[in-house]
Amino acid sequence: MKGTNLGEFEELILLVVCVLYPDSYGLSIRSAVIEQSGRSVAIGAVHSALSRLEEKGFLTANLADATNVRGGRRKKLFTITSAGRQAVEKNRNLRNSLWDKIPELAWKGLSYGN
Amino acid sequence: MATKTHSTPRLVNRFLLWFCKDELVESIEGDLFEQYQFDRSSKSKIQADLAYFIHVLNFIRPFALKTTKTSSRNIMTRHYFSFAFRNILKHKPHSAMNILSLAIGIACFIFIFTYVKDEMSYDKFHTDYQRIYRIPIDFINDNGERLPDATTPPALAPALKNEFAEIEEVVRIFPMWGGSYMMGPDPDNLFQEEEILRVDPSFLKLFDFTLLKGIPDSALNQPTNIILTERMAKKYFGDTPAMGKSVIVNSGTEREFTVTGIVNDVPYNSHFTFDFLMPITFSNIDENWGWYNYYTYVKLQKNATIEQLEPKLQPMFESHIEIDEGELPNIIYSQALEDIHLYSQLKWELGQNGDINNIYFFSALGIFVLIVSLINYLNLSIAMAFNRSKEVGVRKVFGAYKSFIGKQLLVESFLLLFTSLVLGILFSEVLLTAFEPLMGKKLSVFQPENMQFLALMSIVTVSIGLLAGLYPAFHMSSFSTSRIVKVMLGTAGSSGSVEGIRKGLLVFQFSISVIMIVGTITVYQQLEFFRKYDLGFNKEQLMIVPANSQSDLQGFKENISQLASVQSVGLSDGVLGGLNWTFTAGYPESVLINYTVVDPEYIETMEFEFLAGRNFSREVSSDSTGYNIIVNEKALEDLGKDLSIVGDQFPLDEEEDSLIMGRIIGVVKDFHFTSFKNEIKPYAFFYRNNGFANASIKLSSSNVNETIQQVEKAWSEVNPGAPFDYYFLDDSFQKLHSREENLSTILFDLTILAIFVAFIGMFSITNIVIKDKIKEIAIRKVLGAHINGLILLITKNFMVLVIMANVIAIPISYFIMKNWLDGFVYRMDLSLWIFVGSAFLTFVIAWMAIGYQSYEAARRRLVDSLVYE
Repeated sequence: MKGTNLGEFEELILLVVCVLYPDSYGLSIRSAVIEQSGRSVAIGAVHSALSRLEEKGFLTANLADATNVRGGRRKKLFTITSAGRQAVEKNRNLRNSLWDKIPELAWKGLSYGN
Repeated sequence: MATKTHSTPRLVNRFLLWFCKDELVESIEGDLFEQYQFDRSSKSKIQADLAYFIHVLNFIRPFALKTTKTSSRNIMTRHYFSFAFRNILKHKPHSAMNILSLAIGIACFIFIFTYVKDEMSYDKFHTDYQRIYRIPIDFINDNGERLPDATTPPALAPALKNEFAEIEEVVRIFPMWGGSYMMGPDPDNLFQEEEILRVDPSFLKLFDFTLLKGIPDSALNQPTNIILTERMAKKYFGDTPAMGKSVIVNSGTEREFTVTGIVNDVPYNSHFTFDFLMPITFSNIDENWGWYNYYTYVKLQKNATIEQLEPKLQPMFESHIEIDEGELPNIIYSQALEDIHLYSQLKWELGQNGDINNIYFFSALGIFVLIVSLINYLNLSIAMAFNRSKEVGVRKVFGAYKSFIGKQLLVESFLLLFTSLVLGILFSEVLLTAFEPLMGKKLSVFQPENMQFLALMSIVTVSIGLLAGLYPAFHMSSFSTSRIVKVMLGTAGSSGSVEGIRKGLLVFQFSISVIMIVGTITVYQQLEFFRKYDLGFNKEQLMIVPANSQSDLQGFKENISQLASVQSVGLSDGVLGGLNWTFTAGYPESVLINYTVVDPEYIETMEFEFLAGRNFSREVSSDSTGYNIIVNEKALEDLGKDLSIVGDQFPLDEEEDSLIMGRIIGVVKDFHFTSFKNEIKPYAFFYRNNGFANASIKLSSSNVNETIQQVEKAWSEVNPGAPFDYYFLDDSFQKLHSREENLSTILFDLTILAIFVAFIGMFSITNIVIKDKIKEIAIRKVLGAHINGLILLITKNFMVLVIMANVIAIPISYFIMKNWLDGFVYRMDLSLWIFVGSAFLTFVIAWMAIGYQSYEAARRRLVDSLVYE
C-alpha cells in the first residue's frame, strides 16, 4: 500500500529519531544525519521528511519547553510509534532475508577496487 | 547560562511567516534560530544572514506551504498570469525583442553606473577624507603663464602646521620618481621595488591606512624603520611573522631596515599606492623653500573649514620665499582629497588619475541608452496593446469589468519588465567582467554596497514600465464596447496623438544613435591619427632594457653589439615618453629645456632626423664635456636662435659674473615624446660616458623571441644575478594614449548596443505598422500598384523620420566632438565624411529594419491578405 512504505531517506530519519531519543528534534536530527551519512542536508528537507512521517503515523510529536537558545520558541520532540517500529523492522527483516539468500558465488571476483 | 543571542533577519522572518503553515512555524523558526546562532559564531554576519535566507528558501516545499483557499480572487490572479504568459508566447518575436532591448538598456545603465560610482569612491575610505586637503602649486613663468604642479617645497608642511591653528596634522610624501631599489629579506634574495614612499611619521595619523601590526605613533620614528604592506610581508617572509625582521635596501649602498609595521594593502581606489613606507631622512629640509619635490597634505581641525584657511595660504607662502624684483611669485592653493582622482591633472601626479569629463560622458551615455530602450518598451507596449482591441472587446462582451482589463495588461507589463530586469542585471555583470582588463579593476554588480542601488533600479524600472503599461491599460479599458467594435470594423480612425508620440520617440532614438556613431568614428580616427603620425623618430622594433646604477651597461652594450640580430645599441639616462630632467639655458633670458644624457649611438638608434650639424662623436673630446648639445627645432626657437648658430658658441648659463658658453652642434627635427594632448616641447641631448640607466636596442631580426633570449643571455653574462627586464618603445607610447584607447573600445561596444536597441525599435514598429496596412496594400495591388511603389509607401514615412533624426543629431554631435578634439594639440580635422558616413550608416540600419519586411508585405499573395473579406 502506497503511503505506508518507507523511503530510504525517511528510514534514515526514523532511525536517527530513535537513536537520539529523547532529545530528537529538527536540528539535532539534521546534525546527526550529516554526521552519520556524510551528506549535506537542508533543514527544510529534514522538516519535510519529519512531517511526512508524522502524517503516515510513524512518528508522534510533542512540544517541549521554550528555551533561550531558540529565541523563546518551543522544540517539537519526536518519538517513534509502534507503527513506525513495525515499518523499520519490516524493512530490516526484508534486507536480512535477502542478504541471507545471496549465493557466495555472486561475490566472486568482486573487490572494492583497491 | 545567559549568552547573548543574535536576532535573525527580520525581513526573512516575515517572508517565512507569510508562506509557512502556522502550525509548523514555531518549531521551524526555533531550529533556524538555533542554526543562526551557531552560524553567527563561526561566520560573518552577512554570510550567516545569507545562510539563514537559503535555509528559509529551502522550506518552500509543499508540506510547509499554506494551503491556498480557492477564492474568486485567486482564480482571477491565476487567470491574469496564465493569459499574460500565453500572450507573451503568442507574440514570441515581439516579446523577445521587447525584453532584449530593455535588458540591454538596463545592463548598459547598471554597468556604467557601477563604473561611475567606483570612480567617485576614490579616497573616501579615509574616515576623515572631508577634512584632508593637498596643497599643490602653480609655477608662474616670465610671461605670467601658470604651470600647475603637484609638488611643493619640503619646508611648506612644517610652516603650515606651526602657523595655522586650523591645521591638525600635516604630512609630506616623497616618492621614488620612477627609480627603483633592490630590496629583500637578505642580501642574496633581492627584488626590484618601485612602490616606495618616504613619508613623515604623521602619515599614519592623517590617512587611514590601518596598521595590522605595530604602533602607529612610533612605527616611523627611527630612520631605519620600514613599514610593509601585507602583500610584501608575505612576499618577503612568507607565513613567518615579519615584525622586527630586517629588510635589506640596496640603493647603490646596502642598508638594513627594521620592520616596525605591517599595513593593509592599499585599496585600489586610492589616488596613490605604495608597498613600502620609510621615514624621510634628508637633513635640513624643514627650512628648504627652494626645492619643489614634496607632496604636502594637511588635515584640518574638526571645527575648521577650508574657507578659513584658503585666503591665508598665499600670504604665508610669500612671506617665506624670496621674490626677485619683477618676478611673479608662484601660487599655492588647496585641493580636497576626494577631488584629486577625478579633477586633478597636474604635472607629477602620484598616480594615474581619472577624468571627470569621462564620468560626465559615460553617465550621459548610460542614461541615453536606458532612455532609448525604455522608449522602445513604451512604443512597443502601446502598439501591442492597441492591436488587442479585439480581445478586449470580446472580454467586455463576456462581462469583464474595466479593472480586470486594466489589471490584465498591467500583469503582462510587469512580467516583461521583471524578465528584462533580471536579464539586464545578469548581462551587466557579464559586461563588467568583459571590461575588467580595460578598467584595470574587478567590479561586480553583486557587491553588497550595490544592493541598495539594485533595489532602487528595480523600483525605478518597474515604475517607469508600469507607467508605460498604465496608459494603454486605462485607455483600452475605458473604451466602450461599441467603440471597440468600431475599431475592429476600421471605422474609427487610429489615434493621432499616439502616432505622433511614436514618431517623436523614433526620431529621438535615432538621433542618439547618430551622435554615438559620430563619436565612435571620431575617437577611432583620432587614434589612427596618433598611430600613423610621424613622431620624429623611429619607435619600431626598439627594445628598451632598464638597469640600475650598479649594472654594467657598457659591458652589456659591447656584448650585444656582436649579435647579428641587433642593429645598433644606444645608452641613455631616461627614455623618451618616460620621465626626464629639465635645465634652464640661455642668457640673459633663459628658457626651460627637457634633456636626456645619451651616447652617440643613441641618436643613431632612435633615427632622429638632422636638419643641420652633426651627431656627437667619440673623436671630438669637447663633445662629452657637457657644453656641446644637440637640440630639437622647438628648443632652438625658444632660445631665439636659428640654424646658423650651429657650431658657434652661445651663452648657456651665468655663473658668478662669468658666462658659461655652450655650443649647439646639431639640430634635429621636432619629435613627440609626450601625449598628443601636449605641444611639442624643447628638448636637448648631452653626451657623457656614464650615468646611463637604459639601453635602447634596435632589432634587425624579425624573430623577436629568439633575439630576446640572446639579449637576456648577454645580460646575465655581464650582470650575473641582476634581474633582466625589457619592454618595447612602441608599447610604452601606446600607453600614453591608453585612456583614449579604452574610451574608444567602450564607446564602440556601447554604440553597437545602442544601435541594436534602436534597430529593434524600428523593426518592431515597422512590423506593427505593416500589419495595420496589409489590407490597404492588397487593395492597392488589386488596383494595379507596383511593388516598388508599395515599398516606397511603407518606407517613406520611416525615412523621413531618419532624415529628421540626422538633421537634429549632426549639429549636436559636431559640437560634442569638436569640444573633445580641442583637448588635443595635435588632432585630425573633423571631416564632412564622418557625418556623411554616420548618416549613411543610419540609413542602412533603418533599411535593414524596414526594407525586408516591406518587401515581404508588398509581395504577399493577395488571397492571404484578403482571406477574411
